[in-house]
Amino acid sequence: MKRTLEDNIVDGVNYFLLAIVFLVTLYPFYYLIIISFNDGVDATLGGIYFWPREFTTINYTTLIGDPKWILAFFVSVLRTVVGVVLGVCCTCLVAYGLAKKHLMFKKTYFALFIVGMYVSGGIIPLYVVLRGLHLLNSFWVYVIPGMLNIFLLFIAISFFREIPAELEESAKIDGASDLKIFFSVVLPISKPLLATMALFTGVGQWNAWLDSAYFVQNESLRTLTYRMMEVINKANIPVDLQGQGAELAAQAAQATPYSLQITAMVISVIPIICVYPFLQKYFVKGATLGAVKG
Amino acid sequence: MKLKKVEDNSHISIDIHKQQFWKRFKKQIYLQSFVFFGLIVLFFFQYLPMFGILMAFKEYSITDGIAGILTSEWAGLKYFKQFFNAYQFEQIVTNTLAISFLKLFFAFPVPIILAIMLNEVRISAVKRIVQTTSYFPHFISWVVVAGLASVFLSTEQGVINNLLISLGLADKPIAFLSNPDHFWGLAVTTAMWKEAGWWTIIFLAALSGINPALYEAAQIDGAGRIQRIWHITLPSIKGTIVVVLILAIGNLLGGGLVGSNFEQSFLLGNSVNSDKSEILQTYAFKMGLAQGRYSYATAIDLIQSIISVTLIFGANWLSKKVTKTGLF
Repeated sequence: MKRTLEDNIVDGVNYFLLAIVFLVTLYPFYYLIIISFNDGVDATLGGIYFWPREFTTINYTTLIGDPKWILAFFVSVLRTVVGVVLGVCCTCLVAYGLAKKHLMFKKTYFALFIVGMYVSGGIIPLYVVLRGLHLLNSFWVYVIPGMLNIFLLFIAISFFREIPAELEESAKIDGASDLKIFFSVVLPISKPLLATMALFTGVGQWNAWLDSAYFVQNESLRTLTYRMMEVINKANIPVDLQGQGAELAAQAAQATPYSLQITAMVISVIPIICVYPFLQKYFVKGATLGAVKG
Repeated sequence: MKLKKVEDNSHISIDIHKQQFWKRFKKQIYLQSFVFFGLIVLFFFQYLPMFGILMAFKEYSITDGIAGILTSEWAGLKYFKQFFNAYQFEQIVTNTLAISFLKLFFAFPVPIILAIMLNEVRISAVKRIVQTTSYFPHFISWVVVAGLASVFLSTEQGVINNLLISLGLADKPIAFLSNPDHFWGLAVTTAMWKEAGWWTIIFLAALSGINPALYEAAQIDGAGRIQRIWHITLPSIKGTIVVVLILAIGNLLGGGLVGSNFEQSFLLGNSVNSDKSEILQTYAFKMGLAQGRYSYATAIDLIQSIISVTLIFGANWLSKKVTKTGLF
């Protein structure tokens, strides 16, 4: 088909706008990286847009040398790993039971889970319950309340229903129990599902901040995201920032709270950038499935 | 005699039924225990908090523990009245509604427009790259996004202010983060930046289902690019738009499609801009967890939930009337 003038104009405008979308999305992350590699005091002077002006790794070495940040990083890693393993196993196990057509009381169970998905008591009653269960101020408050994700549960149920019954039948004839079938037959062929679930659970765990701020008082249990929030909350009030700036100008070249905040943000984003290309195809599937389910 | 026989028979049949029931149950005991485990988790972290809503009508004190939800004294509508009479009441309700409706109006169409723009791209590599980057911010914590906002919008050498000044659009740095008048715009823009790309996935999935023959036929009939978008693309995804719109209205007070009202007001709100940034959720949260007024906070949360449920049913009813499609 011949290209018209309109085609050319539409394409031109479209590519131009998409290029802006692309830049506006990516540049902030790029900016964080160059500032994190720039001298802190120098960075407050501004004018750094494309590459570091006074290159230094002092921001990273300072952060790594600070036990507070290191501990926060490991708490974040631990809660992500434990949260993913616990969450995926628990949700899959329940989903496997619910996916079976011959399950007794199936309708009642489904009704209970659907109501649980749509109706929520809110954070205040949840706090009261967590306190009553003695989960407050413990590492487990990060992973136990969220170990059953009802949204992912329904994605898993629809996935398990697609598994051909013959696979499980032959294992059953060999005398395997449902538990054994689940672990040795079902899980190994559910890798796309497991990847989707691990991604959503993992990102949720890694990014969570509210629980670390309000369900925990023990300073050694604070997460990386919480530590960042601490710094950002201070920086958002401009009067404070001015005070900091004047103080910092007097100091010799070293990491400033501002440059440390930016470096922490880079460290927080890096793990997500790393898993992103691999898991991209899975979450697209997950998102559209979720939409169909409503 | 006859009667007795009948009775006996029914007794036996119940017995057999019972036996079969247990036999069936035993056979799927593993499956049942999997589900039972899920029900326990569901009970503690979904249903118990749901019963906790009762606190809104009670004189609850945190020292009463979980049982206190039931045993504490009734307070009636005391806490609801207290909130209606609170001096910030009007301000908080105005902020909540304003931010929510601004997001519905400005942020809802963006993913649709972006999806159509991406759909018009013929070079698949370009499409893939822009698409993949556009939903990346969805996976970043709000804490980092708030940090990015504070870095970029800073009045001291912030990139945006520097850009505005060098383009001559501003003569002095604009206090985006501390001037209360800018908070609503800040909320809409940052939520859009973070979530618009993510929601294109659903619209792109709907767009990929359009039969290409429709476009070819329209082109033969002399329809231009814009006409084809208007008369083929948009009508084809109307159903998806309606469904997503209902979801957005259901979550209106949470921020609609792009959500995040709470995170924004919490992380970008501060003592300087609280006149425009305090919303129902953050107010309830502060009253509850920071000041220990649990019953009061639960009452405010409940008001918000009731409005939300009303909105989703209302939106569904309206959409069924107007477009003949609905969620339920």
